Amino acid sequence: MAKVEFKDLRVSFGALPVITGVNLSIPDRSITALMGPSGSGKSTILRVLNRLIELYPEARVSGEVYLDGQNIFDMNVLELRRKVQMIFQIPNPIPNLSIFENVALGLKLNRLVRGRGELFERVKSALERAQLWDEVKDRLSAPAGKLSGGQQQRLCVARALAFEPEVLLADEPTANLDPENTAKVEALFLELKKEMTIVLVTHYPPQAARISDYAAFLYKGQIVEWGPTKDVFTKPTHELTEKYVTGRLY
Amino acid sequence: MTAERKAEDITAVRMVINWLGLGLFALLGVAAVVPLFFIIGDVYIKGIDAINSLGGLRHFLIELPPTPYDESGGIGPMLVGTLYMTALGALLGIAVGFPLGVYIGEMRKEKFANVARAGVNVLVEFPTIVIGLFVYAVMSLAKEDLNQYLLGPLSNAISPLGEWITWFIGPLDGFNAYAGAAALALIMIPYVALITASAYASIEQPLREAAYATAGREFNALFVVLRKAVSRAVLTAALLGTAKIAGETAPLLFTALGNLYYAPFTGPTAAVPLWVWYAAQTPYEVQIASAYGAAAVLLTIILIIFIVARIRG
Repeated sequence: MAKVEFKDLRVSFGALPVITGVNLSIPDRSITALMGPSGSGKSTILRVLNRLIELYPEARVSGEVYLDGQNIFDMNVLELRRKVQMIFQIPNPIPNLSIFENVALGLKLNRLVRGRGELFERVKSALERAQLWDEVKDRLSAPAGKLSGGQQQRLCVARALAFEPEVLLADEPTANLDPENTAKVEALFLELKKEMTIVLVTHYPPQAARISDYAAFLYKGQIVEWGPTKDVFTKPTHELTEKYVTGRLY
Repeated sequence: MTAERKAEDITAVRMVINWLGLGLFALLGVAAVVPLFFIIGDVYIKGIDAINSLGGLRHFLIELPPTPYDESGGIGPMLVGTLYMTALGALLGIAVGFPLGVYIGEMRKEKFANVARAGVNVLVEFPTIVIGLFVYAVMSLAKEDLNQYLLGPLSNAISPLGEWITWFIGPLDGFNAYAGAAALALIMIPYVALITASAYASIEQPLREAAYATAGREFNALFVVLRKAVSRAVLTAALLGTAKIAGETAPLLFTALGNLYYAPFTGPTAAVPLWVWYAAQTPYEVQIASAYGAAAVLLTIILIIFIVARIRG
């Protein structure tokens, strides 16, 4: 059974249609890449899935989205966002908070832990899973802003992992990182997909080819092609897909 | 003339113009700072002299103000009144101004938020004496009912706790510290609200989304996560707002009125700026000296808050 399922999803911002009928099934414990040129609606799909789209008053959403067979619009938004966490293009640790507090804050606010001991263990575990623990264990109370860009992004991954999510949404998470840090984040995703579903928005087809199991190519708010990544890249059935994966469509 | 030579000349002309421009701006900078140093210098030189001649700093901070026939005296009641009214006004100003600022800054698309923003923009420019007059009018209208139905019975109920409590709670006179604090709060609310609103409005969308994804409830996203992101701006607003109201005179004229003695806050209350305003106009040297001393104390309070705001903000 699909972990996430979109049925005739349509989104518009004011009079501007952004998603015009998307049907998509995302399998569990895999990395699904959403590829497409700017403005094709990739990031919007992510924001529907954890209902951050509701922060945009001008957005209108119709259609159905299911998480484990449950319509996300009928779910408690707090429960949904706990299960569906997100990391962003620009590393965005909360300013003026320490490394530890950045990971701990969500757990405290959502009352997911009892006592300091459990809090520390959850933060430590999240930082370990984000492969950041060894680099920061001696300076947990240092400001998060002092970390390098790559470390900040992994801190944001840790912040998301602290919730023990079932789905991790990643919106071009390596767009602002150098190749070394990009490789670290990609390796991290390959590790994490063993225990969760990852939906990765990427601007960069080679990244999708490297790490995703499934790939969807979006163009002007619609899915042009979708399937196992290998098929999409080696045997594209649509001319637009072929142009995109070979770098002839931006 | 060779091309190289020409280029050198042009560079020299540009450098001269650059020096002249920089010199002019430096001059303007000095022009802005010189009066400030003159004022601060004048107040401190005369103020410290006055405090010494009136019996020393400790005496000055505690004692009653000098009558025209005294040789020493202080600003004790004024200092207590100013600290009390400023603290209350600042607390109220932050308690109302901060959430109001979040509303105006974060709910920009709501119609009423725009109305509130316009209102706050007007209020921040309001003559403070008009705010004092408004609070005076409200106090005049509400005082009797307030005393009869709320403060009178309340005062009777809590008076067994001791006489000291009647200094803080009891039937109000037409002029009292609470009216003064309310007027100061009305000055501070729009100030804090506008700085808070602009700090929240400047938060980048990815951080806002991260806050909502992390915090769960909207209240936590706005008032815990994003507040931490803008805490420096808000702290600076709170401190500078406090410094601003600590030195206000006009709104206290109709509300606190002023007093020469230590007295319950439910009646006319002394304040440092009111004493400076009053004493500096008298023909008595001892009171004029005390006004300078009071001005130096007031300036010190404001400068301390200002420096803390600069360091922490």
